[in-house]
Amino acid sequence: MKKLPTYCDQCYNGPDLFRAVVEDGVVHSLEPNETCEDISPAKGKICVKAYGLIQKLYSPHRIKAPLLRTNPRKGRDEDPGWKEISWDEALTLLADKIGKARGLDDAGFPKMAVIMGQAASPTAYSGTLPALLSAIGNIDYTLGAGEGIKCYHSEHLFCEYWHRCFIGAADTPRAKLVISFGHNTNASGGVAGVRRHAHARESGYKRIQVEPHLSASATTSDQWIPIKVKTDAPLMYALIHILTREMDRNKSCDLPFIKRRTSSPYLVGPRGWFIRDKKTKDPLVWDSAANMPRTHSSLDLKDAALEGEYVVSGIEVGADGEEWEHEEVSCKPSFQLMLDFMEEYTPEWAAEICDVSVETIRNLAAEIVEHAHVGETIELCGETLPYRPVAIILGKTVNNGPGGYQVSWARTIIAMLIGALEVPGATIGADQRMNRPHHDRWSSVWPGKDGFMKNFLNPTDKASWPASAQSRTRFEQLLPLVLNTGWSPFLGPTTLGWLTMNSEWSGLPRTTAPDVTLLYRANPALSMYFPEVMEEKLASLPFFACIGYTIDESNYFADLILPDHTDLEGLQLFRIGPSIHSECFWSSYGFAIRQAAVDPVVNSIDLTDFSTQMAERLGILEEYNAAINAGIVSGVRLKNEYVDNELDPATLHSKEEIWDRLCKSSTAALSEGSDEHGLDWFKEHGFYAVNYPEIRHFLHPVMVRWGLRYEIPYQENIRRVGEQLGRRLKENGMEWWDEQLEEYAAFPKCEDFSEMWNMECEMAGADPDDFQFWLINTRSMQYAWGSNAGMPLMAEAAKHVPGFKGALINKTVAQEMGLEEGDIMSIESSHAEVEARAVLREGVRPDTVVFTGQFGHWITPFAKDLGVPNMNTLIGPNKKMLDAGGSLSDVVKVRIQKA
Amino acid sequence: MARYVMVVDLEKCTGCQTCVVACKMWNGLGPGIQRVTVVEKEEGEYPNVRRAYIPKRCMNCKDPQCTKVCPTGATKRDDEKSVVTVDKDKCMGCRYCMMACPYNARTFYKHEQWYHEEPSAWEKKRYKEHTEGVVDKCDFCISRIDSGLKKALTPGVDPDATPMCVLSCIADALHFGDIDDPESNVSKIIEARGGFRLLPEMETDPSIYYLPKRTGNEADKS
Repeated sequence: MKKLPTYCDQCYNGPDLFRAVVEDGVVHSLEPNETCEDISPAKGKICVKAYGLIQKLYSPHRIKAPLLRTNPRKGRDEDPGWKEISWDEALTLLADKIGKARGLDDAGFPKMAVIMGQAASPTAYSGTLPALLSAIGNIDYTLGAGEGIKCYHSEHLFCEYWHRCFIGAADTPRAKLVISFGHNTNASGGVAGVRRHAHARESGYKRIQVEPHLSASATTSDQWIPIKVKTDAPLMYALIHILTREMDRNKSCDLPFIKRRTSSPYLVGPRGWFIRDKKTKDPLVWDSAANMPRTHSSLDLKDAALEGEYVVSGIEVGADGEEWEHEEVSCKPSFQLMLDFMEEYTPEWAAEICDVSVETIRNLAAEIVEHAHVGETIELCGETLPYRPVAIILGKTVNNGPGGYQVSWARTIIAMLIGALEVPGATIGADQRMNRPHHDRWSSVWPGKDGFMKNFLNPTDKASWPASAQSRTRFEQLLPLVLNTGWSPFLGPTTLGWLTMNSEWSGLPRTTAPDVTLLYRANPALSMYFPEVMEEKLASLPFFACIGYTIDESNYFADLILPDHTDLEGLQLFRIGPSIHSECFWSSYGFAIRQAAVDPVVNSIDLTDFSTQMAERLGILEEYNAAINAGIVSGVRLKNEYVDNELDPATLHSKEEIWDRLCKSSTAALSEGSDEHGLDWFKEHGFYAVNYPEIRHFLHPVMVRWGLRYEIPYQENIRRVGEQLGRRLKENGMEWWDEQLEEYAAFPKCEDFSEMWNMECEMAGADPDDFQFWLINTRSMQYAWGSNAGMPLMAEAAKHVPGFKGALINKTVAQEMGLEEGDIMSIESSHAEVEARAVLREGVRPDTVVFTGQFGHWITPFAKDLGVPNMNTLIGPNKKMLDAGGSLSDVVKVRIQKA
Repeated sequence: MARYVMVVDLEKCTGCQTCVVACKMWNGLGPGIQRVTVVEKEEGEYPNVRRAYIPKRCMNCKDPQCTKVCPTGATKRDDEKSVVTVDKDKCMGCRYCMMACPYNARTFYKHEQWYHEEPSAWEKKRYKEHTEGVVDKCDFCISRIDSGLKKALTPGVDPDATPMCVLSCIADALHFGDIDDPESNVSKIIEARGGFRLLPEMETDPSIYYLPKRTGNEADKS
């Protein structure tokens, strides 16, 4: 028996390290890798999905050789006429197509597009594909399936802007109170999430789960607050109201933190912009000690006022540099304006919207204050830090679509009020994706204007705003907050890219379809909203190549399918640590190997071999090798200050040689030259990591060292960016983004966002009262990411998870409707109708129905026979339901009757 | 002599099913055969609802009823480790033991069907380890315990001597060890947190202790 260390990165929580047990050339079993126990938040364990990799490896449904479509007509009812061809034929054909699709088309879009899904986990499997794509150049990545519409989208955009928080996390091991608004940690937090919260329960922390149904995470929470769908923002606003207007702020708030670490003292002028010093243009604050205005960074500032109204002179700077000079004008601190703004958001107002009692809301606020430990400190890595053990985490659907900005803002404001932001025990960011570098939070923070950290937004000023886009989602034009770095194209607005393709929109040149589209580890025909539109668009792609595992709902429309190695067959070095997603905080960072446990089972290809051979066929081998040398694959240059392992650019290298050099240069860089381990070493040891000081998971120390403030609560710059964007769009006749522009407010107005779905019904010509249920979606670990719907083993594992038997519906309501357990229900939205079995549960709101996972397969082997519907089919294309980031929510109003 | 027991922490279990599948893979079990099952139990009425995930498996009782009814002596108790085993060469598949087991923890091992239409390479290799037409159940991965003990490893502490479900549990909800050793992990956990066993009235002296769930779900009662 051999035990080979490798990793699983099927979800965004990885990589999780484990060992493949191999006997007689067959993978016998998988087991945890306890050798990484001291560094990995998963402690070397893997979840249920990873144990399924053996069945994935040996599935008879795998595509066994390259497949060429012989039937040019595409559609669900058209047999593609797949014909097996050789790898030489397949790669030659693809190279021929890509060779003609380099550069931009007449409309200015890249002729080639690449679609990747699964929350970017494909990069853990794609070998040197990034180097090939880099060498090809001019590729549109914005049509991806995994991100951009269905992710934690508003949180990504706004919270990374505020505190480098791509996803908000709890410092679970130190937290005493975690309030989760729909964050289903037990299903989507990976091994680390499950483990950390299990130990926190053992240690006696309190978790309160706020969501319309009792999820796998509510099951292990101390309290479940069954809130009405999409009304989280009103409840959170009410909490702010209580903390600031009902309670004694000297007791409920961390006033020193608010004064020193946020822009709360910044004075706001009559036009709603910060009032600034006339000379330096620095924002002014009111020094209560000296009874005079000072700049925010003045060394003489003693006590910045948070409340009151003051007469000062200065200038306001609005959109597009417009300035107004004021003499002796009345101004209020941002904090005072927030107090005024919050006046209407009373608990009584929220209770009616949320269907949560006033008493519960007030109790929740009291819990926050009680657990905040304001004034306490903790020692970490030899430094003294504030200790605020209250964290608020947000789930998908809560923080995307309508209301997403509001919950992201309100969560951050609550954290601000008690000083529980980026300190031990509190709400912290797990990582940053749009800002660089990804691997170190501290290094991503730079001093910027007005005392804030520097942000690199896409420009909206007249001189710099791009009048034309080079991506089909037009993120460079429409989404200032998404930036324009490596991850930005994946972050939407993906839906818009597909909807506008080959159709006319005012102010837009026709969005062309890419000449060549390459898809990897994604199934957009299933995972995007309105699958019927997606199928039409996929069918219209001129040349569509998919790197595929089995036939699925997307590659059914392909012209060419290329089978790649599965997780247990391929070879790759990949980064581990220091932090990712919502719970994965490593104590080290470095690299781990994914190695072949056995020889390939079918005639598939390793993506590094694929990339190298494609580079040679395309005549771009030098550019490809140069990209690897430059570090595009692992983030480490092959020639660095310690070693020189550069590839000869003109030579075709084997994958073993490429990875051997990457292993050596990576370990040399990590160890500052003291180690240089090659591929064979990694195959034996599995990973190499160096210490990552725990304190670097918290931004507070670096904020203090730079003397920075968080850009909260008043969103002066967001307002400026929005106004400028609005002007640019209007100047170019683009009037279909007006609703979204309203989001760019200095204080985001709150409302009952569930009403948006009633409006959606009305827009579809239906009476919202006819659709009495909100249909939502929940995750379960067996199927959260990883594309495992086609595996019988996973279906067997899920058979004790009630959600997979059908749609969850409140038991009393169902019985009143004459529904019994297992009855077939007709579930109809204003757009479409599906059927599902009734699963009667007490832990569901009476007005809510829940689907689990994402199914609705019609061609994927085995999955197509599961008979579980996909909520995407019930959602119609309605641009008005997109938020300003281009995301929607997994919510739709439905009516239900016994079929 | 040791009395190996398992401790199941209901407070920690999240019903993820990892132990179920890890067990199946390690033990090479066919479609539908689960030595461990994790079921969900819901109590109460909306909005005061409480749920728990309950892992179930053979209790490896000290005074088991299955051994008493086995006509061939295939089912017997290993007194050295306090594990109940099935000798597949002796088992004749009468299933009396399945009827006798108060915990419904035994399965008749029969898998004419494969996970797919044809057996995979893994299935061809692993299903040979089993005998069709006999009774199967959890034996605390006794082969791991035995091989671990030969290497002077401690079951429940050293990975190579620990049942796969315990080793794989991502919530650290499962513990394993010798309850006769007052210094063992399980003895200390049980001493600190108590623990209950299922169907005590059957007087089978089961070897699985459940730690009660602390968290309820105090819903909005007002």
